Amino acid sequence: MIGFAGLSHLGIVYSIATAARGLQVLGYDPRSALCGNLDQGRFPVLEPGLPETFAKHRERLSFTADAKELSRCAVVFLSLDVPTDAQNRSDLGPLSQLIGEVLGCLRPGAVMVILCQVPPGFTRALGRRLAPKPEAAGVSLFYQVETLVFGNAIERALNPERYIVGCADPGEPLPSAYQQWLAAFGCPVLPMRYESAELTKIAINLFLVSSVTTTNTIAELAERIGAEWSEIVPALRLDRRIGSHAYLAPGLGLAGGNLERDLVTFRRLADECGSDAGVITAWMVNSAYRRDWALRCLHKEVLAEQPNANLAIWGLAYKAHTHSTRNSPALGLIESLPHLEKRAYDPQVRLAELPPGLAQADSALEACEGAHALAILTPWPQFRQIDLAAVRHRMAGRAVIDPFGVRDSAECATFGLRHFRLGSASGHHLSES
Amino acid sequence: MIQHLSSSTRPERVVILGGSGFVGSWLQEGLRRLEIDCLPLSSAQIDLTVPAAVGFLQERLRPVDALVFCSALTPDKGRDSTTLMKNLCMGHHVASAVEESPCRHVIYISSDAVYEESPNPVHDDTAPAPSSLYALMHLTREKMLTAALSKVGVPLLILRPCAIYGSGDTHNSYGPNRFLRSAREDRRIALFGDGEERRHHLFIRDLVAVIVECLQRRSQGIGIIAGSEAITFGDLARSISRLVQPVPRIESLPRQGGVITHRHYDLTAYLKAFPNLPLTRLEDGLRQTLANMAQ
Repeated sequence: MIGFAGLSHLGIVYSIATAARGLQVLGYDPRSALCGNLDQGRFPVLEPGLPETFAKHRERLSFTADAKELSRCAVVFLSLDVPTDAQNRSDLGPLSQLIGEVLGCLRPGAVMVILCQVPPGFTRALGRRLAPKPEAAGVSLFYQVETLVFGNAIERALNPERYIVGCADPGEPLPSAYQQWLAAFGCPVLPMRYESAELTKIAINLFLVSSVTTTNTIAELAERIGAEWSEIVPALRLDRRIGSHAYLAPGLGLAGGNLERDLVTFRRLADECGSDAGVITAWMVNSAYRRDWALRCLHKEVLAEQPNANLAIWGLAYKAHTHSTRNSPALGLIESLPHLEKRAYDPQVRLAELPPGLAQADSALEACEGAHALAILTPWPQFRQIDLAAVRHRMAGRAVIDPFGVRDSAECATFGLRHFRLGSASGHHLSES
Repeated sequence: MIQHLSSSTRPERVVILGGSGFVGSWLQEGLRRLEIDCLPLSSAQIDLTVPAAVGFLQERLRPVDALVFCSALTPDKGRDSTTLMKNLCMGHHVASAVEESPCRHVIYISSDAVYEESPNPVHDDTAPAPSSLYALMHLTREKMLTAALSKVGVPLLILRPCAIYGSGDTHNSYGPNRFLRSAREDRRIALFGDGEERRHHLFIRDLVAVIVECLQRRSQGIGIIAGSEAITFGDLARSISRLVQPVPRIESLPRQGGVITHRHYDLTAYLKAFPNLPLTRLEDGLRQTLANMAQ
C-alpha cells in the first residue's frame, strides 16, 4: 500500500493517479472532515478529469485522519502544500509538524518521500536531524520533484515526463517498494543527490519563468510597434532550440505563487552564496509590471475619456480550470478601481466578500449590462462561445480588454467592438481609425 | 509607493515653502478653491539658505500644519557645487525646523532627475542614480527629510515629478513652455535635431491636484508623477503648431551631444494610488496653457 500524508491539491491528485496505476492507496490528513469529503468524492479542488478518475478507481482508495494507519504503507509520500507568506517565502513549519506525526507511525523499512516544495539543502538537513531518532531507524528518505500544473494536474500525474528522485547517495539502488511505484508510471527515472533534485525543481520553474518573461517582453514591444505576436510564435516553435512545447503565450506576469516562491528561494540562496542572480530580480520586476497590463490598457483606452465607466469582468480565478484566486489578475484590477461600478462573472468562483463597487453576476451576459468596457481576465473556454452580438447589445461601450485573446480581434471588429489583446496592436490600430 | 493614511481629512493650514514659485503659486490657487487656509512663504520672506531660517520656520510652524516644500535653486541658477551646497543648506534647515517643531504632514517636491537616464521604463521602485549635482541635491534632501521626520513620527511624502508645464513657469527649459512661448512670440519652434527624444510632460494642474489630494489624505511614501505618455519633442512641436495661429515654423538646430535618449515612466503605481485623478491629455493641457498665456 502507498500512503500520501497531507491531502493538498498535490496529495489528492497523486493519490488518485496512484490508484489509477493499479496500486492500493491510503490518504492521510489530520482534517477528518476533509477525509470524509474525499471518501464521498467531494473535492476541495477543481481539476479536469479528477472526479471521473476517482470514480473509476474508487475501490483502491481510502482516506483516514488517523496517522497510525500509515503503518500499513511501504511507501509514504509527504504531499503537503507548503504555504507561502506575502513575500512568497515558504513556511516550513507545517511540513516539519507533519514529518513528526508521520515518522512515529512508519513501519521499519518504510520509505518516506518528500513531494513538497522544499528549498535546496532541506532534505539532507532533515536526514541528519532524523538519524539519531529511534523512530527513524530503518526508514529511508527521498525527495521527489513534483511540478503540479493547476488545470492539467491529473493528466500530468498519470503520464509524467520523468521522475526526478533525490537520494542521500544516488549510487545506492532505490528500495524495491519505491521502485515498484515508479515503474507503475513507465517513465524515465533520474536518481540524483538530494541537492541536485531540489535545485532541479527550481531550475524547471526558472526556465519556465525565463520563457514567460521573454514572451511577455517581446509581446509588449509587438503591441507598440504594430507587430503581431501570434504571427511570430509559429516561427519560434519550429526552431529546435526553442521547441514546440515552449511557453510562448503572453500572460499577465507570474501567478499562483509557486514560480514566485522559487524565484525568492533562488535569490536568497544566490545572495547567501554570492552568485549573480540579477536576472531573477529583473524577472520579478517584469512580472509585477505585466500583471497590471489590463489596468494600464483600461486607463488609456477607456478611463482617460470616461473616468466613471462601468466595467464588466469575465473571470475571477487566476487561471482557467481552477477556483484559486491567489494573485488573480481580475482581483488585482478590481482592487485598483475601487471607485468604479464593476460586475463580474466566473463559472466557478463565488466571492465570499465583495470588494468595493463589485457585484457578482449570474451569467457572462448579465455582467455586460450597461458596461462601457469588458475585461476578460480568466481564459475560461466557455467565454469563447458567448454571442458577441448579444455582448455588444448589452454593453454601453465598445472596449473589450482581452489579454489572453479568448476572443478573436477580427470577429470583435465585425460587431463594432475594439479588442485589446497582449502581443497585438489590433485594438490600438482600431482605436486610431 | 504612496500610502494614504486617511480617507479624507483637510489640513487646518498648509505652509508652502517656495510659495511664489511656479508650483507654489498654482498650489495656492488649488488650496484656495477648496478653501483650505495656506501660508505661502517665498524667498523674499525666508532665506532658507541661512541658519536663521530654522528659527523663523519654527516660530510659524504649528503642529496642525501641513508643510509643502517646493523650493530649490534650479539648474538655471547654477549647476556647480556652490549651488548644491546652498540647496543642501535649505534642506538641512527645513529638516531641522520640522524635527524641532513637528507638524502633521510634510510633502517634498523632488524631481525625476534622481533616476539615471538609461533604464526604461522607470518604476516607482527603480533605484535612484543621480547623474548631476541637481539630482544629487534632491536625493540628499529626500534622505535628510526622511531621517529627520522619522525621528519625530511625521509622515513624509516625496513626489518626483517629471518636467512640468503650464502658464506662469519662469524657467525656459526645452519643452512645452519654451515651445509655446516661442510659437506665440516668435512664430517658430526650435528643435535640437528633429526632436526625436521621447519625454513625459506633466501639466501643472495635475501635479497640484495630486498634492491637494495627498494633503487631504495625509499620504506618505515616494511616487513618480508624470504625464500620461512619452512623446517626442518633434511631435510636441507639431501638436503646438496645430494650436497656435499663425502657424509657427518648426526649425531644426544642431543637436547638442550625440546620443538620443528617451525616458518612459511606468505609471501603474500612480493609477493605483489616484484612480480618480486621470491625467490631462497633453493636447488639452497645451490648449489650457495657451489660453492662460493669452490672458
